[in-house]
Amino acid sequence: MRNIVFALALAFAGCGDGGGSSGPGPGPGPAKDGPKAITIWWAQWAPADGLQELGRDFEKETGIKVTVHQTPWPDYQNQVNLEFGNRETKFDIVIGDSQWIGRGASKGLYIELTDWLKGAVDMSTVHPRAAKYLCEYPPGSGRYWAAPCETDAIGIAYRRDWFEDAKEKAAYKEKYKRDLAPPATYEEMRDIAEFFTRPADKRYGVSWLTGRGYDALTMGFEQVLYAFGGSWGDEKTFKVQGHINNDGAVAGLEYLKSMMKFSTPDGAKLDYGQCLEPFDNGSTAMLVNYFAFYPEISKKFGDKAGFCPMPKKGDRRFASLGGQGMSISAKAPKERQELARQFIKWFEQLKIQKEWIKKPAGFPANTDILKSEEFRKASPYNAAFADSVDILVDFWNVPVFGELLAPVQQYVGEAMDGKRSAKDALDAIATEHEEIFRKARENGDLPK
Amino acid sequence: MLKYGFVGPALLLLIALNIFPLGYNIWLSFTNYDLSGGDVKSVGTRNYREVFNEPRYAAAIRTTALFVAAAVLIELVLGYALALALRGEFLGKGFVLTVLLVPMMLSPAVMGLFWHLIFKGDYGIFNQTLGAAGLPEPQWLTDPGLKLAACVIVDVWMWTPFMMLISLAALNSIPRHIYEAAEIDRAGAWTVFRRITLPLSAPLLLLAVLLRTTDALKQFDYVMVLTGPNDAATQTLSALLYQTSFGSFRVGLGTAYGFVVLVAVIAVATLFTRYLDRLQRSR
Amino acid sequence: MKIVRMALIALYFAVATLPLAWLVITSIKHRDDVISTDARVVPGVEFRPTLRAYAELNEPVKGKNHSFLHFLLNSALIALASTLASVALGTSCAYGFSRFRIAGARDWLFFILSTRFLPPLAVVVPVLLMFREFDLTNTRLGLILLYTSFNLSLSVWLMKGFIDEIPRAYEEAALVDGYSRMQAFARIIVPQAAGGMAVTAVFCLISAWNELGFAMTLNNDDAAKTVPPYFQGMIGKIEGLPWPQIAAGALLYVVPIVVFTVLVRKHLLRGMTFGTIKA
Repeated sequence: MRNIVFALALAFAGCGDGGGSSGPGPGPGPAKDGPKAITIWWAQWAPADGLQELGRDFEKETGIKVTVHQTPWPDYQNQVNLEFGNRETKFDIVIGDSQWIGRGASKGLYIELTDWLKGAVDMSTVHPRAAKYLCEYPPGSGRYWAAPCETDAIGIAYRRDWFEDAKEKAAYKEKYKRDLAPPATYEEMRDIAEFFTRPADKRYGVSWLTGRGYDALTMGFEQVLYAFGGSWGDEKTFKVQGHINNDGAVAGLEYLKSMMKFSTPDGAKLDYGQCLEPFDNGSTAMLVNYFAFYPEISKKFGDKAGFCPMPKKGDRRFASLGGQGMSISAKAPKERQELARQFIKWFEQLKIQKEWIKKPAGFPANTDILKSEEFRKASPYNAAFADSVDILVDFWNVPVFGELLAPVQQYVGEAMDGKRSAKDALDAIATEHEEIFRKARENGDLPK
Repeated sequence: MLKYGFVGPALLLLIALNIFPLGYNIWLSFTNYDLSGGDVKSVGTRNYREVFNEPRYAAAIRTTALFVAAAVLIELVLGYALALALRGEFLGKGFVLTVLLVPMMLSPAVMGLFWHLIFKGDYGIFNQTLGAAGLPEPQWLTDPGLKLAACVIVDVWMWTPFMMLISLAALNSIPRHIYEAAEIDRAGAWTVFRRITLPLSAPLLLLAVLLRTTDALKQFDYVMVLTGPNDAATQTLSALLYQTSFGSFRVGLGTAYGFVVLVAVIAVATLFTRYLDRLQRSR
Repeated sequence: MKIVRMALIALYFAVATLPLAWLVITSIKHRDDVISTDARVVPGVEFRPTLRAYAELNEPVKGKNHSFLHFLLNSALIALASTLASVALGTSCAYGFSRFRIAGARDWLFFILSTRFLPPLAVVVPVLLMFREFDLTNTRLGLILLYTSFNLSLSVWLMKGFIDEIPRAYEEAALVDGYSRMQAFARIIVPQAAGGMAVTAVFCLISAWNELGFAMTLNNDDAAKTVPPYFQGMIGKIEGLPWPQIAAGALLYVVPIVVFTVLVRKHLLRGMTFGTIKA
């Protein structure tokens, strides 16, 4: 008994130091004097490291210390939301998903940047699609709540060595009466996927983003939805029926489901990281995922990997948007909000954006860069990326986006698993979305 | 007075760390609390009405009940059988026992990831082994019928050692002399089991079942990793709660779900403990 | 009969340890070999084994100051302290309920059990708010208190189960001999209940060791972060999940628990044989 008490005392003593303080973690305290510094929150991944390096450059220039605090992806959204529940947030800048803008704007979590941004950054150099989806709320209002940080899009990586192999080319031409080339249309993509699917040799045609956890399936499906003539709904009226479940939408979902025949056996539930693996292990011809992953793919496969934007259906071509924008916390002290503005202005400069794209998986929204030949040639995937920014499309960014996401993930998932027909699934989504919008309108959660 | 010295500290800690969250939870369930804080409004019983009208809720109850019943039953039978087998002494018993306990010691979140790798359709080792043996390769993670089974398999793999360990303790607590008396009476093995072993080890066994059941009801980590929180085939109550509070940001509604679950579990557990009490007293 | 026993044990042993063996094999592979479409099972023959995963674990996570070791230390401190506390408080509480008449004992015991019923997810937000109030977020003490409280329900109920088995005759004899109640508790009950305490300690340790939900939510910086949230951080990598590292980490992480179990295995195996002395 005595020993137990002794041991307990020792253990408790061991926890006095180090873990003791629980004041505002990394970065400055709420004191108004003291060194100038700001804290940025982002998810734990390579671009955040890149941003930290730029932060050090900023400190050299201005003396303002920048700390990029990284939170593991699975918990990032929760941590940011919970932190916003404080009277004062530990972060001054939060680099939030495009989806978060509606909540940030309407719940007073983000500062409105409209007037300041137009003065600080030449908005004509921000690609209109990036501005619309990463910065603006409500859609079409011209009010800005974030500045572009990481702009991302879904595109295709393919095995160029297979595509250029003489024997493959000949066999393909014979079967499909066309040259084997990166897919320009969804029909071509289907043919190529079918051609390369050889289960006996453990070869597959395509690995598509279809994860069920958070939003991967929705992102994978979204661009097909729009290309085939569907859409999430009317941005202004929030009408959903007839948009998410029109004939085009049904055709799109059926297309995606049919492509699963040419994927690995569990190709219908590949999340962000898992989706890479069939391509990574050399068994799959094409990969549909975000460009943020392609620098590593390019590094690994070198010349053997080629990249192209998503294909067309008829003359409609779309790519699902990804990426995050920099928003200033409305709950940070005024002095630090000012420092944050300085950082954002500094970051958006052309010369810094040119540094940003040199960091691993750093992608810009700056049109000068995107249009330049220099950028397009700088890496095998840049040209495809630049073209993809022109065709970006995104999911709802209203405050209730989380509720809207759930039925899409569930019902599209059921269609992919064969539990529901495509029409049924989309009808179910339409019904639930209308209900969610109705309730949101009652609660004042939708823009007027 | 001394008796309060024995029970006091534990009770105080429990009250301090449980009563406030519980009370706060109940209050939250009557509000529209959003994950990011902000203005909190009372909404009366609206959350509870939503809970009972939500078809996903009934589905989640069914899924959870199915999962818990299957998992705990298999774990009980397997764990008890193993304990019976491991009862005597044999060479290497310590080693065998320790290794058998390892699955229980691994982090569920990490093992969930690993089981995902094992179950994967093409390069998962499970199917590759089946394939090599010429057996069909079920798609554990995409076939709607199999997803819940996959979760049960993982749970059984992880927690059978728990049942085994407690069963062993239960079996070891049966006094030797009762067995000796039975031997003298020339009782057959089956009679010994039915009349002595089973009844005398029952109380601790039932306790183990109670503990394991309450744990399985909360199971979340591998459902999350194997299929995501939004999959109709495996959306347990915990998954639904997660989706509501953290996916839809509606913490008020989420706590209402949690509270309804709590009431249900309390009801079941009350019956259970009454039965346990009766068993104890009849000895 | 003995053969059936042995066969059952052997079969279960094989099946249960296969995933473990796979974990070990994965930890000594290169990542490419893990995701390859060919099964690469036999080291040396079907793939080149390497210890790189273990080495990489020791490096500090890029951009942060701490390596795996720091988080491991946090886990160890927090888990050990909370286990000691749970077992100590739980045993004394169980003794109180077992031997004394306490008003409302049944209700108290039920209350204790009920603290186990609520899914952690449901209480995470209120607990976080409460911890913020008392400045306990990002501290080891906060997690120790929390885990102790979680494990008390298990501890009290298990220990009561074991202590109920110990015949009162022993303490009564001791009391008659002039020992105080505390002394009787310490010298008679505790040794007898050592088996039960070992079992309880193992479970409490495992529960605190692997806890993820609160460790993640209550810690948004690294000071008191434990290993499970550290693993979550591996999920964002743009090169894809680092399977060999995850496997290596998982194995290293389970070693302390195995060591602990081995240390107390005598108590685990002994169980309660005092029953033989029962008249």
